[in-house]
Amino acid sequence: MDTEITSTSIFTTPFVEIKPSRGLFQLDLRAVWQYRELLYFLVWRDLKVRYKQAAIGIGWVILQPLVTMLIFTAVFEKFAKVPSDGLPYPIFAYTALLPWTYFAQALSRSGPSVVGDSGLISKIYFPRLIIPLAAVITPAVDFAFSSVILLAMMVWFGMVPTWGVLALPLFLLLVPTTALAVALWLAPLHVRYRDVGHALPFLIQIWMYASPVAYPVSLVPERWRLLYSLNPMAGVIEGFRWALLGKASPDFMLMSVSAAFVLLLLLGGIVFFKHMEKTFADVI
Amino acid sequence: MMNAVVVQAEGLCKKYKIATARYRHDTLRDLLTDSLKSAFRRNGNPHQSKDDFWALKNVSFELERGEAVGIIGRNGAGKSTLLRILSRITQPTEGYASIKGRVGSLLEVGAGFHQELTGRENIYLNGAILGMTKREIDRKFDAIVDFSEIGKFIDTPVKRYSSGMYVRLAFSVAAHLDPEIMMIDEVLSVGDMNFQQKCMGHAKRLLDGNATILFVSHNMFAIKAMCSRVIYLNEGSVRYDGPSEEAISIYESDSRESESRLDSMSWGEIAVGSKPSEWSIYATDIQVLDEQGKPRTVFDFGERIRIRVKFETRLPIVKPNFIIAFVRSDNVACCSYSSFVDDFHTSHIDGEGVLEMVTPPLKLVAEAYDIVILVRDESFQIAYCAQRGTRFHIRHELLNTHFGVFHDSADWHLSTTP
Repeated sequence: MDTEITSTSIFTTPFVEIKPSRGLFQLDLRAVWQYRELLYFLVWRDLKVRYKQAAIGIGWVILQPLVTMLIFTAVFEKFAKVPSDGLPYPIFAYTALLPWTYFAQALSRSGPSVVGDSGLISKIYFPRLIIPLAAVITPAVDFAFSSVILLAMMVWFGMVPTWGVLALPLFLLLVPTTALAVALWLAPLHVRYRDVGHALPFLIQIWMYASPVAYPVSLVPERWRLLYSLNPMAGVIEGFRWALLGKASPDFMLMSVSAAFVLLLLLGGIVFFKHMEKTFADVI
Repeated sequence: MMNAVVVQAEGLCKKYKIATARYRHDTLRDLLTDSLKSAFRRNGNPHQSKDDFWALKNVSFELERGEAVGIIGRNGAGKSTLLRILSRITQPTEGYASIKGRVGSLLEVGAGFHQELTGRENIYLNGAILGMTKREIDRKFDAIVDFSEIGKFIDTPVKRYSSGMYVRLAFSVAAHLDPEIMMIDEVLSVGDMNFQQKCMGHAKRLLDGNATILFVSHNMFAIKAMCSRVIYLNEGSVRYDGPSEEAISIYESDSRESESRLDSMSWGEIAVGSKPSEWSIYATDIQVLDEQGKPRTVFDFGERIRIRVKFETRLPIVKPNFIIAFVRSDNVACCSYSSFVDDFHTSHIDGEGVLEMVTPPLKLVAEAYDIVILVRDESFQIAYCAQRGTRFHIRHELLNTHFGVFHDSADWHLSTTP
């Protein structure tokens, strides 16, 4: 009714052309930026909904990695006598569980995210990339809460972070990037093939055993080490232990290779996702 | 600037693969077996398959600022596909469209509502999904709550709302989008009568503010009330684009032809069998005319209607009792005329004939009515024929079904004691 409304609207360029997109590289990432508030609201929705009608609410966020750590300590340290590179096993495991839990959450949410929001996709336009993006961001809040436990444990075990802590943001960034890169391939496939929904938990489980969460990298046979280190999560977990607990640093050469691979996967994923999103509303 | 074109569509086409629909939830196993199968069956052109379905064929039109345009057509004519393309939910297969201005599209009320969230939370979520900024929602929040009449339930999870409350809240959010181009798909037909009128009022205000409205509906009255121009889609193509009255009358004469409304009625089948041509008497043609005998389908409240029925008999019928009834589009039988009750007696009929009846000035409220022809005996025991015929409309700006079945003026008297 008043002209002010249009000036505050998020459609800063109120001219839209609609035509079949032919090229592979019309990515239109600016639209994602224009809709950043929707991204915020979708994250907010997922957080709200998750802990409604849950008695201990946010407590679950802390409980999950904490209990997993206790079980790991019992099974792997006490029963299986898995070494932990001279570190107290509980903090050795928790330092890995922190990024791993986030990664597993991000992947298991973003993989099926497009199908999960099919009601929106078939009825309303917005940049579809927002959906997996929101799913990757949401568990970051859990990550922030459960890192408080890690800080407490570091004080308890008298751990002093090394200068490597300055590199921590880089490791932190690599985790959601890896999750998003994989999700951008899985989510569109899930729209066509519901098999993805069945395969995903399995994939995450395998991935955990392929990462040094419960055991140190030193247990991996030397001739497999190269291949093993290409797993970006292996580098991230080793990086965490290096930065926070003063363990030997990961192989940065190999880490850059796997980071480059993740970036390639991400770029390809964006192109693939944008290509597939054209038919989301028709197929979903 | 007044007559600027805000929506331009040129040669829009949309192809769906029927196979895509069949493999909705396809699995990798299907893909593997199918690609194996097709590898062994390499005949025919893969691009021109009979599985293709063109939901839209070469649709072009322009909308000017401030226009309210209705889109009508039968189910599957491409109305919703057109709206989905214009609101960027799906891409056209071919063609081009350009839109100038902020688009608000309402293809479903409450898309994106989350059951677990409260009314307040859903206003923010749904507002953001529809394209509002948080600041904008903050500013309009009170107006949205007022409009929805939700009141104190605003902090209750919407899963505990009645369906009416849910729809009212959802529509209120969308109504406050204040778009320059509004696309509405059949959502005004929700909520109770008061709320519907409120929504129509809101749409009218948007129009006064020079917004452009594109409105899909099956309700011809809503279309007539709001739109001066109608685009009639038939099997994916524009069949007619022009003044509402014309478009609707073409649409209705088309539907009469294709639906062959001389079909027997389902309850009549029990009495007389399902094939009219096997009955002892059946109508071959039912015409709706005005008093002067001109064919018409829209009548003003209070007009007389002339109904002409051509019939054929296979067996002579003694003392037939012709009954012509009007059944409203919601299947309420509103009135019926009987030749026997009106003292119009015939000793017997045989062969072909034409029956004509003129109604008294009809006081039925504005709606769509189907004509039903019955032939019975004078004791109303035997049915020889039961057929549903043509549809006609009664027009009145005020008197609709909320006033009841019919309306007649009363004598009024008021006395007051001081």
